[in-house]
This record gives sequence, C-alpha cells and structure tokens, in this order.
Amino acid sequence: MRRFLQYLMLAALAVFLGAFLLLPIGTVIEEGCSPALIREVFRNPVYVEGLLNSLAIAGVTTFLVFCIALVLALLYDRYDFFGKSSCNLLMLLPMILPPFVGALGFQQVLGHYGILNSILVRCGFAPVDFLGGNGKFWAVCIMEALHLYPIFYLNLVTALGNIDPALEESAANLGAGRLRRFFRIKLPLLRSGILAGGSIVLIWSFTELGTPLMFQYNRTTSVQILNGLMELESNPVPYTLVLVMLVFSALLYLLARLSLGRHEIASTKGATASSAQRLTGFFRLLPLLAFLAVTAVAVLPHTALILNAFSTNYYGTILPEGFTLDHFRDALGSNLVLPSVGNSLRYSALATVIAATAGILCGLASVRWKLKGATLTDLLAMLPLAVPGVVVAFGFLGMSVKYPWAARCFNPVENPLWLLAIAYAVRRIPYVVRSVTAGLEQTPEELENAGRNFGASPFRVLRRITLPLIAANVLVGGLFAFSFSMLEVSDSLILAQKSEFYPITRALYELAHVLGSGPATASAFGVWTMLFLGATIIAAGILVGKKIGSIFRF
Amino acid sequence: MAKIEISGISKAYTKDVPVLKDLDLTIQSGEMFFLLGPSGCGKSTLLRILAGLVKPDAGIIRFDGEDVTEVPPEKRRAAMVFQNYALWPHLNLFENVAFGLRCLGVKGGELINKVMEALELVRLQDFAKRRPASLSGGQQQRVALARALAVDPPLLLLDEPLSNLDARLRDAMRVEIRRICRLRKLTALYVTHDRQEALSLADRAAVMDNGVIRQMGTPEMLYDFPADRFCAEFLGDVNLIPGRVEQRNLISALGNFNLSHPCRNGNAVGAIRPERLRILPENAPDVPCSFGATITDRTYLGESCLWRCRTALAEVEVRESAGPARKIGDRIRLSFDPEFLLVFPE
Repeated sequence: MRRFLQYLMLAALAVFLGAFLLLPIGTVIEEGCSPALIREVFRNPVYVEGLLNSLAIAGVTTFLVFCIALVLALLYDRYDFFGKSSCNLLMLLPMILPPFVGALGFQQVLGHYGILNSILVRCGFAPVDFLGGNGKFWAVCIMEALHLYPIFYLNLVTALGNIDPALEESAANLGAGRLRRFFRIKLPLLRSGILAGGSIVLIWSFTELGTPLMFQYNRTTSVQILNGLMELESNPVPYTLVLVMLVFSALLYLLARLSLGRHEIASTKGATASSAQRLTGFFRLLPLLAFLAVTAVAVLPHTALILNAFSTNYYGTILPEGFTLDHFRDALGSNLVLPSVGNSLRYSALATVIAATAGILCGLASVRWKLKGATLTDLLAMLPLAVPGVVVAFGFLGMSVKYPWAARCFNPVENPLWLLAIAYAVRRIPYVVRSVTAGLEQTPEELENAGRNFGASPFRVLRRITLPLIAANVLVGGLFAFSFSMLEVSDSLILAQKSEFYPITRALYELAHVLGSGPATASAFGVWTMLFLGATIIAAGILVGKKIGSIFRF
Repeated sequence: MAKIEISGISKAYTKDVPVLKDLDLTIQSGEMFFLLGPSGCGKSTLLRILAGLVKPDAGIIRFDGEDVTEVPPEKRRAAMVFQNYALWPHLNLFENVAFGLRCLGVKGGELINKVMEALELVRLQDFAKRRPASLSGGQQQRVALARALAVDPPLLLLDEPLSNLDARLRDAMRVEIRRICRLRKLTALYVTHDRQEALSLADRAAVMDNGVIRQMGTPEMLYDFPADRFCAEFLGDVNLIPGRVEQRNLISALGNFNLSHPCRNGNAVGAIRPERLRILPENAPDVPCSFGATITDRTYLGESCLWRCRTALAEVEVRESAGPARKIGDRIRLSFDPEFLLVFPE
C-alpha cells in the first residue's frame, strides 16, 4: 500500500512534467517540424544570420566566462589569502541583476554619450561608437559573460574542492612540474565541473532573449522568435526557429559532452585536508584584488544603473549632474510598476510552491524511495536546464492555440496566473531537485530508519526528521526558484500579453522603451529588483556556503 | 522481554547472491544473544530484518509467538542502537530520547520522567539540552542506548554499537551495556565482529558465515569446542597441524597424538590455541603430546608473551604469562593436554 502511494506520487510528478514540459516541447516540434519551413529557415539569409550570431554569442560568451572563472577558481582553490571567505559571496553579486536590466546600465557606460566616451572627450580624444557596428555583438557577449561567470566559477570551485589534494601531491612527488600537474592531473579531473558549468552557460547565452533585445541586436534567433510572435497565426516560422534552437541547444550540449566526457573519476572522493598554500605579506592581498577587480567590472552596469536611477541628468557626463529621488517616485507611481510587483509576487510564490513540491517529490523518489522510473523522472526534471526558456514559453503558447483544454486553462490573454506560475515552476524545478537531492544524499538514511524503528509513521518521519534535516536545502532551492522567477525574462515577455498582468521584467522592458525619462524610471525600478534578488542570493549563500555551486549543476 | 523465533529466513539483495540462507534461530526471553561473524556474513541484515527495516525474501519472524514478519518497523517495538548511532542532529538529547516515547503517546510529566530516567541510566542527565554534535563518540553511543532503552522495548537490537570507540571506552561501555541489560532483564540481540566483545558479554552466541549459522552456544563452548575450522579460527588464534586420523590418533609431521574425542578416520587438521601450549626445556623427559621447536621471535604483550617457534612442520605461536627468561634461537619442547587438541576432518 505504502509503495503504491509512492508510485502514485511519482506518477503524478511524471504526468506534471509530461504535460508542462514535454508537451510544450512536443507542440513546438510538431508545429515547426515541416520540411518546407525548415528549408525556408535555412534559405532565408536573415534567419541564417540570426542563428550564426546566436551561436557566435554562445561561443564567445562561454570562452570569456571560462577564462574569467578558471583563473578565479584556481586562485580560490590554490591559495589561502586575505578575505578568502567573502570571495564566494562576492561572486554572487553579478547575479543579482538579470543581464537585460544590466544592459541599461551598460548602455550608460558604453553609449555614445555614456561614461567612457565622456572620459575620452575630457581627455581630448574623439568619442568612439562602442555600440555601433560590431559593438553591439561584443556588448551582448560581455554583458552575458559578466552575468554568467559566477555559475561557471561555482561549479569549478565545487569540482576543485572534490579533488583529493593527494592526487596532485603524488604527481609532484614523482617530479611533475606545476604546468604538467595542471594539464595532466587537475584539468582532466575538472572535466565534470567544466561540463556542468559550461553547458549551462553555453545554452543560456545561445538562447538569451533579454540582453540582445535591450541592445537592439535583433539579428539573433531568440529576438527573431519574439518578433514573429505577432504574426504567429499567419506565419508559423517562429515555431521552426524554436525547433532549430532546440536542436542546436542539444547539439551544443552533446558537443560539450563529447569533448569533455561525462564519467566521474572515482578517485576524486575522500578529499581530506585542504592543500591551499598560505600567502604572506603583500601577496596575501593579490588574489582578493583579482576578485575585486573582476567584480568591479561585473558590477559596472549595476553601478551605472544605480547612478542613472538617482540622477537628474546623466547624459554626456562622467558622473550625474545632480541627484534626485524622482525616478523612484515615478517608478512607484507608474501604473505598470506596482501591479507588476504584485503580479510577479503572486506568480513567483505559486511557482515556488509548485517547484518545491515537485523537487522534494523527485528527490525523495530517486534518493530515498528508489522507485523504478525515478531516475528517468529525475532526468526529466533536469531537462529544463538544457531546454531554452524561449522553447518552453513558446510551447505553452502553442498549446493554448492547439488544445482546447489548454486554451481554457491557460489563455495568456485572460489571467495568466497559472500559465506563468507553471511555466516559471517547470524551468526552476532543477534548482530545487539538485538542492533537495544533495540534502538527502548528505543526510544518512539511518536517521530516518531510526525514526521508523522508534515508532514513527512514514509521514511523521518525513515531517519530524527528513524535512527539518533538509530544510536548508529546500530553502535554498526555493529561494533560487523564487528569485529567478521574479526576474524571469522569456516566459514573461512571451506569455504576459496584457499590461494589467505584466510581471516585473515585462514592465521593466516596457518602461525602458518609454521616451524621455523611461530609462531612468526603469533604472530606478531595476535598483529595487536588484536589492531584492541580492538579499535572496546572499541569504542562500550564507545558508549553504560554497556548496551553492551544486545548485547550478546538471 | 520477548522470545524471538526466526525460522527459514532468506534474503538476497541481488539475484543469485544470497545474504541469508534459510536461517533458523531462537533467542530466549531475557537472553543476551550475540551474532558474530566477519563483515558481509549477513549478521547486520538479520538484525535489520528483525527491526523491520529490511524485508526477508522468505521465512517467518515471531516475537513471543506472534508472527511479525509483515509488521512495519514502527509497530514492532524492537528498539535498535545503530552502528553510527543515528542520533538526529537537529534535536537535542532530551528530544532525541523523547522521540520514541512521543510516538507511543507518552506526554507531560511522565514523558519528562522517563526521558530523564533513561539519561540518568547512561549518566548523561546533565547534557539533556545539548545537541549530539557537541558530544564525544562515547557519549553519543550512550545517548543512542538511552534512546533505545527509554521506550522500554521488549527487544533491544545492537548493531556493532562499540565499533567506533577507542579500546578503553569500548571496555567501559561493555560493562555499562551488560549492567543495563541485566538491570532491565532485556532480551538483546547484539551484532559484532569483535570476538572479545562477544565472548565477554554473551549469554549465548552464534557464529555466522556466508549467510548461515556455523555454530551456536555459550561463549565457553564456542571457544573451547568450535564446530569447525572456521569457527576455531574466527574465535581466536589457533595453530594448525595438518595430518591424518587413524584409530583415534592424529598422525602428523610433528608426531602422533592421541585424541581424547572420537573422530572419523581420514585426512584432518588438528588445531591448538597458543595459550594451550606449554614450553618445556629441550631435554625435558619425554612426555606424550609434545614436539621439538626453536624460538624464532618474541612479542611482548604486557600481561603475556607471544613466542613464535619453528617446528618440523611450520611456525607455531605460544602464549604464556611472564616466565623464565628465554631468547631467540633457544631449542625447546612444546607440549599440550590432548583434551585441547581440536581435530576437524578435511
């Protein structure tokens, strides 16, 4: 009977994931999988250019992210230095702003009348059009890299922490020099971390919608999909574009996997004492300075955004001409802002409850109950990490057109509460699943057996022992699910179609395009969201310390 | 107190690799029974089957005559002391001990009294508000014991509870466990691979190997009269003398030895424990059951001395309390009482 109930719950989870993850993807594939449309996509130079640009963005961004993250992760792992304990929290700072909001700040820095050009003019040079020509491409890549390097870094730090120092020591003992040890021992052992972090960054940057949109770099597949939304009923090409994006995402992942391998190396277990080398004197400060320098560049858009939000006039000057709180007042007074905060809170809270329930169920089924099919469900729950947000959002839209039941439940023109909550939840389940799974794996099963042995029913064991013991993990997964939902872009731009139902990101996007004080008001609104996401991520960081990287793993 | 009957229990975690094979065992009410065997012999699995944490593939378990094979663990009242203690880290000592009592519906003053009584029994009453992580290994082990005893279980299951402790603490805890079990007249099943623990605490014990019970009996019987070579070797050090039995004689390269017990003719191996051998001078008058040897090594053990000696057959070990001074290279004779010569057909 008990086993039957467990299977029933697993089946409910599988049905949920089937209906709200596989079905949307299936809908996109079915609608877009027409040879004529696929030929049309690959013959039309505009679409091909969009695809090539997206691939180029993914490649360049991942390369930039890898370079930044590897250096910092190695510094963190290899040395004991001043301020080391605060470095991981420092790493989380760039994540407190969705890159598309950061783009507002970035424009303030690199725009024709932005900070950098003001400095050049002040120094007697001619202004440079940083964002003209290829500048937009590089701006998108740098903006995304500055947002995503913490994910790669956290994965690398986790992977480095799992390597037994004795492995490198034994290589040194046999005469291997520093470089040989790095390339022959450390780098091969890091492959799983590189794959885990790299594939998230690769797919994220390939499918990113908000950043190119804000920089008006419109020749990318994701922006072309959004632009095609209006004429979807007469022109089904966006479905095919989504399909092409899905296939290329899968290919990119496979490519990464083939080149890096997936096998875990058994001897990485059992790491004991840290082998970090203690730095002395001035050298104690150097690694921290490197961390601070990278973070300073990464938070430059945030800083510019904050300055913009407080400035009376910030146009062609290095610093604002004067300071005001008017934009914050305007932001709160805008008929888009307050309702959008309320909407986002509702959508995200519901999404968090759904994601947490599904995540806990998935973790229990695979780690504790060890049900047949649980591994498959676990893989399914992790799929959203590899599937672009645009694909799922578009799939939901397709479902509401195709299936009458979906149209009744999820009409985006009507109240999209459930549609957005489920769409947000499905994409955030992986964070809860990984966090809960890690918690369960770190909690000895014997503690629950002891509970049963002393007379507690399975439900009582769950309530009194299991859940309290993994509470921090559930909380962290939930915090991520909540804060990422609050600032979700793809679903919000595609699925929220009426202004009264706009979530924060959609409202921000609309505000940023209002002529006059629009960008400044959007900046003020962006500062609010930044404070909010900052508080949640720092709370999560404090709760789980450096293990936070495990949340961003496949 | 409960009488435990185990009949025909079998278990295999993976097909074709049985962990327990058609096992029968009866533990009398109030008895302290030990399951002794090497790692992987199935003893912990049997314990977990009794606790209800593992389901047997076949067989029946009865507590006081009542079939409990299908009863879920929370209904069995077979309190277990886990090998790694399994103390809940998020609950303090009081709450850890109170957990089982709350499940039984005990509340208020009675709950407090019972918890404190259990903590007093293991002499940890002053630590009630502390979390398990702040205790030493020995203290945690005592909490695990108190938690099990608090529910006044008819059956106490102990899964290698002393394996993580240092030697001194282990000795102290052995005395403690025996004191408590006798005080409460508990039926206890104790799993260990430590023969000293089993021999010093058990009323009766069973030696397990490869999923079956090889021998069952009192500690003295198991040690002095092991049923086979495995039991003899598992329960203590032993010198082996391969040979052949003919007409109640063990014929070996060391000589012919009269047997005090009947044994069927054929190839056999004689076994004698190191402390049963006596060292005599080389020129001692010819005594039955003796053979010549040369001392090759000496290990000082404090209360005794272990001599390694080369014989015509192989090296043998002799344990004797501090005696006359000897040195490596001395020629000696070794003799033994035929009653202590064990013979196992090959």
